[in-house]
Amino acid sequence: MYQVEASKALLKPRLWARTPARLKVPRNVVMLGFVSMLTDISSEMVATVLPLYLVFTLGASPLALGAIDGAYRGAAALVQVASGFASDRFRRPKEVAGLGYGISAVGKVALVAAGNTIGGIGAIVTFDRVGKGIRTAPRDALISLSSSKAGLATAFGVHRAMDSAGAMLGPLVAFGILLAAPARFDAVFVVSTLFAALGVAVLALTVQGKPKRASRDPNAPSLRSAAGLVRDPRFALLLVAAAGLSIASVSDALIYVGLQRKIDFEPAFFPLLYVITAVIFMAFAIPVGQLADRIGRVPVLVSGYALLFIVYGTLLIGSLGYFELLLCLVALGGFFAATEGVMPALAGAMLPEKLQASGLGILTTVVSIGSLLSSLAFGALWFAIGLQSAVIVFAAALALAILLAVPLLVRSQRAALDG
Amino acid sequence: MDSRSKKILAVIIALCVVCACAYIAIAALGPNQTTTDAQPRVGAALANTDLMVRAVDPKEPTLNGRVYVLDDGHLRKQSGELACERVYFAAGHGICMGVAPSGVEYTASVFNSKLQREHTIALTGLPSRTRVSPDGRYGAMTVFVTGDSYLSSPTAFSTRTSILEMASGRQVGQLEQFKVEKDGVPFDAVDFNFWGVTFDPNDSDHFYATLGTGGDHYLVEGSISGEKMTVLREGVECPSLSPDGAQIAYKSRIGNEAHWHLRVLDVATLDDHPVAEERSIDDQVEWLDNDTLVYSDGRNVYTAPADGSGASAVLVRDATSPVRLDQSGQELAHSQR
Repeated sequence: MYQVEASKALLKPRLWARTPARLKVPRNVVMLGFVSMLTDISSEMVATVLPLYLVFTLGASPLALGAIDGAYRGAAALVQVASGFASDRFRRPKEVAGLGYGISAVGKVALVAAGNTIGGIGAIVTFDRVGKGIRTAPRDALISLSSSKAGLATAFGVHRAMDSAGAMLGPLVAFGILLAAPARFDAVFVVSTLFAALGVAVLALTVQGKPKRASRDPNAPSLRSAAGLVRDPRFALLLVAAAGLSIASVSDALIYVGLQRKIDFEPAFFPLLYVITAVIFMAFAIPVGQLADRIGRVPVLVSGYALLFIVYGTLLIGSLGYFELLLCLVALGGFFAATEGVMPALAGAMLPEKLQASGLGILTTVVSIGSLLSSLAFGALWFAIGLQSAVIVFAAALALAILLAVPLLVRSQRAALDG
Repeated sequence: MDSRSKKILAVIIALCVVCACAYIAIAALGPNQTTTDAQPRVGAALANTDLMVRAVDPKEPTLNGRVYVLDDGHLRKQSGELACERVYFAAGHGICMGVAPSGVEYTASVFNSKLQREHTIALTGLPSRTRVSPDGRYGAMTVFVTGDSYLSSPTAFSTRTSILEMASGRQVGQLEQFKVEKDGVPFDAVDFNFWGVTFDPNDSDHFYATLGTGGDHYLVEGSISGEKMTVLREGVECPSLSPDGAQIAYKSRIGNEAHWHLRVLDVATLDDHPVAEERSIDDQVEWLDNDTLVYSDGRNVYTAPADGSGASAVLVRDATSPVRLDQSGQELAHSQR
């Protein structure tokens, strides 16, 4: 019932078919979507009120808080690769993911019990990030192994849409609680803990740890074979393309800062920027995933990155109107919808079953290091030559990255089909 | 999923819902005020001191405090519902920034010389600094912006500073959108933050403020109509012009810590000297007259000579946001007797 079959229809492009394709998503993927949604509600509830809490209750000086973050940067990247390999090695993606979700849930309990010192909160935030680093690769491997290769982009689309729904709901739940009980941050932390616990319970009770595409190979993969993934010609081509594309993509946070410098209207409007982008992402993640499964993932992924040209273009316009702003946000949301789920789907289809988590962990790490470099470079360029020129440099870099990525991705796909 | 798992999950969901609802209900029924009725106390009375302050509850320093006036050594609570975290007043126009009744959002009120609210403005973050130009034409508000959290780190803050036209309560500018020059060339970076505006008493279009970027804090001077600013020197936060416009009192950061000493600089020469205050002061200083500073450490209001001589003294206990009262303010104080 929930299986996506690798029917002939999927091999033949059927974009203009009259009957709309029924959305068939493996039950495991939907359940993992719920787990992510509950966990994201929990995390975003805390993330939304944490700055307020630190200043309101602990009397911290906001500009002195910068020291709290920075502790986890870099460490998260290594954790992802290690947890991915551990999940493959012990063939227990569900348990390793559960450890990650569990660590974050324990962090929320710690916030309720001991979240009244700034150092304590710094430790808890770091804890939460480590949990996120641990769970990402095995969870993506479970999504991939629960789906047929033909339906991977749809499956990841469903998961990312549910995940982003959680990120939207979290702040609403937190503000709802504070509206009912002003300044009672403890109530936010308690409810956040309950959401996190519920996420772990749904994972433990409903998610199948040995999905259908899971490797039946009795031999545990060695560290050498996991490291060998980066020398696999198909996967290496994908990694190079992904690294180039992510370096040339300006992070959304920086795009919002750029927009804020240009738009002259009520500051109360700014939070809407994130909401509009997230809603577009959520609305399009599933249909774009289906499209990618039907017409091919490479064209959809590349089109997604090409949408960034619209975003960069709006940053170059002298004075922005509402129409240009909306266009920019729709393009940004579309970019997320066409890349966030499609990229792991590309990898999931070519990685050997027994090294799914290792490979997906490596891909995520490459993309996040690329994004980090991109942010550093964009900040430095902005300072050195100004926002306009920095955007032009990034647009040129994006064009180059896409020109480079297309042949790499096409070759990598061909090799995947041949192999 | 077998039926046993289903039952267990149903029980867990029910338990979570019941616990969450019960906890929220108990929290909602508990005390949840946003305004305190705490009263300031006079410390050392200065002769001829006309000062407005905001009361602070020592146990709950972030609650909105009522506005009081210190008049010849006597404290008088001002009538009306005005209560806030930051207050300023000049030439018949005032700004009061604080927590909204919801307890989640923040608002600013623009009030008149009868302390009546004329405009209400929603704030996008926590109140930080506010000033009104001595001629009452413009106001400036700085907030710490929150809510960008799921894009950047949950603890990263940025500031946003807006300029208001006091008569209409409309925003007429935002410092983040002004052009900045340093050493004659354009200066810009992704992490630009502006805070602590002070207006020139002789020309309200002309102002000074702080620009923070990459760990440096610059004194900038700017023009509202020209929408531009120029970097003057480094190491100056929360500048405050003296009534004659000749000197700037500011806080000077010690190392990279949240620790500041007060200093005063000469506007013409940019030479500066320390103030006889040992405490770390995180405040935008106010001038009582051309020779005397008033400021708060978040709990009490202190005074110290501007020339660096003497020592600091407690002026009002349990109060912050000291405001020198000009002619319009003194009329206000006396009318409330």
